[in-house]
Amino acid sequence: MTELESTAGGAAEETAGWSDLSDVPVAQVRELFVVLGKAFRAYQLYDENNPVRQRFVESLRQAFEGMWTELDRLTLAVDEDRIFLVGQEVYKVDSRSDSLAFLFFKDGVREITFLPGIEGDELVRFLGVLQRARKLLPEGDDLLTVLWEEDLQHFQYQYVDFLAEGVELPSPGEGATTQQLQGVLGGELAEEEEEEAPAPSSTQTADQAPTSTVSREDFNPTLYSLDPREMETLRTELHKELHRDTRGDVLSALFDRLEEEDRPDRQSEILGVLGTLLPNFLSRGALKAATRVLEELRKLESMPGVFDEERLAQSRELLDRVSAPEAISELIQALYDGSIRSTPQQLAVFLRFMRAGALSPLLRAAETVEHKELRAVLRSAVHGIAERNRGAVVRLLDEPDPVIASGAARLAGDIQIAEAGPSLAGLLAHADPSVRLAAVEAAVSLKASTAAGALQHTLDDPERDVRIAAARALGTLRYGPAGDRLAEILDSREIRAADISEKVAFFESYGMVAGDGAVRALDKLLNGKGFLGKREPSEIRAAAALGLGKVGSGAARTALNKALDEEDPVVRTAVNRALRSE
Amino acid sequence: MTDGDRLNLQEEGRKVLTAFYGALSALKLYPLENAAVQQALDELHGLVERIVYLEGGAEVRVVGDFFFLNETRLRLDLSNFATFGSFARAFQDHGIGAVEVRPGVTRSEWAPFLSILLSKPGGEDPFLTFMERLASTPVQSLDLRPEKEVAEPETDEEALTAAKRTYAQSVQIAKDALGDVRLGKAVNVRKVKRAVQGIVDQVLSNETSMVTMTTLRDFDEYTFTHCVNVCIFSVIIGQRLGLEKLHLYELGLGALFHDIGKQRVDVDVINKPGGLTEEEWAQLKQHPTEGLLVLFKLHGFADVPYRQMLIAYEHHMKLDLTGYPENKHEREPTLFSRIVSVADAFDAGTSVRSYQYHPWPPDTVLREMRDNPRRGFDPLLVKALITATGVYPIGTLVILDTHELAVVSDVNKDPELLHRPRVKVISDPLGVPLTEAITLDLAQDDPATGGPARSIIKTTDPQKYGIRVSDYLT
Repeated sequence: MTELESTAGGAAEETAGWSDLSDVPVAQVRELFVVLGKAFRAYQLYDENNPVRQRFVESLRQAFEGMWTELDRLTLAVDEDRIFLVGQEVYKVDSRSDSLAFLFFKDGVREITFLPGIEGDELVRFLGVLQRARKLLPEGDDLLTVLWEEDLQHFQYQYVDFLAEGVELPSPGEGATTQQLQGVLGGELAEEEEEEAPAPSSTQTADQAPTSTVSREDFNPTLYSLDPREMETLRTELHKELHRDTRGDVLSALFDRLEEEDRPDRQSEILGVLGTLLPNFLSRGALKAATRVLEELRKLESMPGVFDEERLAQSRELLDRVSAPEAISELIQALYDGSIRSTPQQLAVFLRFMRAGALSPLLRAAETVEHKELRAVLRSAVHGIAERNRGAVVRLLDEPDPVIASGAARLAGDIQIAEAGPSLAGLLAHADPSVRLAAVEAAVSLKASTAAGALQHTLDDPERDVRIAAARALGTLRYGPAGDRLAEILDSREIRAADISEKVAFFESYGMVAGDGAVRALDKLLNGKGFLGKREPSEIRAAAALGLGKVGSGAARTALNKALDEEDPVVRTAVNRALRSE
Repeated sequence: MTDGDRLNLQEEGRKVLTAFYGALSALKLYPLENAAVQQALDELHGLVERIVYLEGGAEVRVVGDFFFLNETRLRLDLSNFATFGSFARAFQDHGIGAVEVRPGVTRSEWAPFLSILLSKPGGEDPFLTFMERLASTPVQSLDLRPEKEVAEPETDEEALTAAKRTYAQSVQIAKDALGDVRLGKAVNVRKVKRAVQGIVDQVLSNETSMVTMTTLRDFDEYTFTHCVNVCIFSVIIGQRLGLEKLHLYELGLGALFHDIGKQRVDVDVINKPGGLTEEEWAQLKQHPTEGLLVLFKLHGFADVPYRQMLIAYEHHMKLDLTGYPENKHEREPTLFSRIVSVADAFDAGTSVRSYQYHPWPPDTVLREMRDNPRRGFDPLLVKALITATGVYPIGTLVILDTHELAVVSDVNKDPELLHRPRVKVISDPLGVPLTEAITLDLAQDDPATGGPARSIIKTTDPQKYGIRVSDYLT
C-alpha cells in the first residue's frame, strides 16, 4: 500500500473529490461505522459459526452494499481517536482498546479507503485483520504487516512509515568524461581485433579487469531458457519445499555443530537453543521433534570427548528439565486435551528418555487415565523409568498423594525393589485404604519379610478388602508368626459375621501359615458337633474345608474325607474343591 | 449473474493468453484450414466469449511488465512467462497497448486479427499500419488502443523514484539491523519485515526499477547493499518460480538475513583486503552457523524462523554438499537456500568488495555459475535467474558492434531474445561521451539487412573506464 510523506495528514479531504459537501452521506457513513463497530466486537466475542457474529457480519455487508449506491469508494481520514469523512467526524470511541481509529492510527495508518467489493469474501478477512491486529504483541508484527500479508483488494490504506524516516535517496553522478573513455575504449577495441578473447576462467587473478567477448552460446536459448521438463522439475521442487520439515533440517544443523567438541561456547549456546525449542515443540504437539532432541542428546552424551563436564551437565540438566514433574504434567494435560496427538508408539519412544523426575506425574497418570491404550503406554514408560531409578520409586512411597503412593507400592512389587520393604510396612498404616491395599499386594510380590510383621496388624484393618489381602498375603508368605493371630480371628465373632470371601481368605491363610498345626482346629470346625450336637454354620464349615485343602497333608485329607458325604451342598462343594486342591 | 457464474479472472486470463499464444503459434506454422489452427481458434473464441458474456467485455492490456485482463493483473509463473513474453512482444512490435473485445464478437474475427499480428510491423507508426490493415478485414468487435495510450501504472521516473526509496530504506534498515546484531542490541525485526515487504511490492510492480537499484555499488556499504541485492535477486527468482507473495516475503526475509552471521565474525576479517589466512578463513566459514544461531535470538517473528535459519545456514553449501558448513546428518539444502545461494553468488561476483577489486562482468558471472559445475549452483535456478536478468543483466557495460559503449538498462521480455536487451548508449564510437544517453532496443532489426541493427560484441569492466553504471541508470 502507499506510504505517505509524514506531512500528508489531510489526504482524505483532498482525494475525496466532493464538489458539494451537502452531498456527502455523513449520516450513512456514521451508521456504517456503528455497524462496523458492532461486527468488530462480535468478532472478538463469538466464534466463527456463532449466529450472532454471522448476523453482525451480514448487517455490515448490507451496510456496505447500501453505501455503493451513494459512493464509488469511501475514503476516510484517520485521527488518533476519530475517523473523518471530508472533515466530518463519522466515528469516535473513547476507549482506545475498542477504538478502530486508534487501532489504525497507532501503526501509522492515516487514510483508509473501502472499495466496492469489500462486502464480498473480503469482509470477513478484513474483520479478521482487525481482530488479529488487536491481539498483536508489541514486539511482534504490526497492523501494517498484517494488512500487507492479507493483501486485500478492496481495502486500501496510506500510512506514515516512522521506521524509514530520514533516509537519503541515492542520486546519479555526472557520468564519465571523454578522457576517461577514449583511451580505454580504443585499447580494448584494438585488443579485440588482435585476438579472440579467451573464455573467462576461474584462475583469473583478482587485480585483472575481466572482460568478456560475446560467445555464440549467448544466442542459444536452450542454454539459458528453462525447457518444459526443467520447469516441471522446478515446480516439483517448489511443492516439496513448501511441504518440507524445515524444523527437522534446523535440528540436524544444530546437532551437526553440537558435535564439534572444540567449540564449547557454541555447544552451550546450542544447548540453550534446544532448551528453548523443547517446550516449543511440546506445546505444538511436535513429539517427534522433541524425541529427536532427546535422542540426539543422549547419543552425544555417550560419545566420548564431545562434551566437557560443563556441557555434559548442561545437557543433562536439559533432559532433567523435560522430565520435571511440571513438564510431564503439562504433557499429560496436552495428551488429554488433544493438543498433542501422537501414536502410542511415538509417545512410548518419547517417554523412554524420561528421567526420575517424570516418575511421579507419569505414575499418577498411569493410575488414573481411562484410555486403555494410553494407560498401557504410560505404565510401560513408568516401568522403564522405575527400572532405571529404583531409589526414586522407594522415595515415592512417602508421597502424600495416595494415588502416587499406591502406584509406587505396586511398582515396587512389580519390579521387585527389595529395599522398599520398610517403606511398604509403613504404608500398611496409611490413612488411605487403597494405599494399604497396594502395600499389602506389593509385600506379597516382594515376599518382604520386613513387611510381613506389619501385615499381621492389617488383619484387623477396618477395610474388608485390605483384611482379605493381608490374610492372603500372610498365607502366601507362609508367615508362621501370624498363626496364633489367625487362629484367634477364626475363633472370633467378627469372622462369623464376615462374608464368605473374607472367611475363606482367613481360613485358607491359616491353613497355609499353620500347616498340620491347623488340622485339628479346622477338622473340628468342619466335622465337629457342638452343643446339643449342632454343627457349625455352612459358610464356616466350607471355609474350614478350604483351609484344610491349603494344608494339603494326609491328616488334612483324612479330615476332608470325613465330610465327603456331607448333605449340605455348600460344604460338600468346598470339600470336593479342597480335595482337588483347587 | 449467479455466484456459480463468477469468473476467476486470474485463471481465465492466463487461459486466454495461453490460447492467444497457441492460436498465434498454430497460424504461424499451418494454413488457416488446418485442424490444429481451427481447434486453437475454437478454444480462443470459446474462452473470450464466455468472459465477454459474464463481464460485459474483455480487455487485455500490456502495461509495462504486466498483463491485465479487465482490472485483474495476471500473475506470471514458470508455466506461462515464456508465453506471456512472446505475446507481449507481438503486441509491442505493432505498438498495441490493449485489445478490447466487445459483446457480439464472432469466431471469424480472430483469424484476420491474429494474421495481422503475425505480419511484419510496418511504417513509421506500426500501430497505425496495423489499424489500416485491420480496417480491410471483417473484424468489427475488436477495439485496439495504442501502447502510448494505455495508462502506465507509473512512469519510469516514478517507478525509479519509488524503487530508490525502497532501496535506500532497505539498505538503511539492513545497516541498522546488522549493526544491532554486532553490538548485541535487540534487532527491530518489524523494520526488516517492512523493508522486505517493500522490496517484494516493488519487484511485483516494477521489477526492472528494482534490479536497476542493484547497480548502485557502494564499496563502503557493501555488506548492507549486498544483503538488499541478494534479497532483490532472490525475490525475482522466486517470482519466476511462481511463488505466492507471502512465500516471496519469507524468501526475501531469509535473503536479507542470509549473512547475518558475519556480524559475529571479526570486522577485520570481514573487511580484510586481499587473501585471508587459514585461521581467518576458518573464522569466516563459521558465519552460516552463527547466522542460524543469531536468528534464534531475534524476537519479532510469529514463529521460529526455520526457513530463514536454513537460508543463513545453507547458502554456502553446494549441490553436492561440499562447501560449508560440513554435514554429518543427512541434508538436502532447501530450494530457498539454493535460490539465495545463486542470488548471493551473482551479486558478490559482480560487486567490488574487500577481496575483489575488479568484479567480473555480470554476463561472465552468470555463465560461470551456469557452466561450471564445481561452483555447485543449482543449474535450473541459475537459468531462472537468467530468464529474469537476461544474458546481459541490467548494469552490464557493453561494447556494441558500432564500437559505442552502452549500459544494459532493461531485459528483453521475449525469452527467445534474452541476449538482446535494451541499452543506454553512453559514448560514440570514438569514446566521446554523449550528453544524454540514448536508449536503444537491441532486439530491433535493421530493415535493410533483416539482421540486428546493433549487437553486443563484448562486455567490459566499468572500473576500467572509471565509470559508475548506476549514474546512467538511476
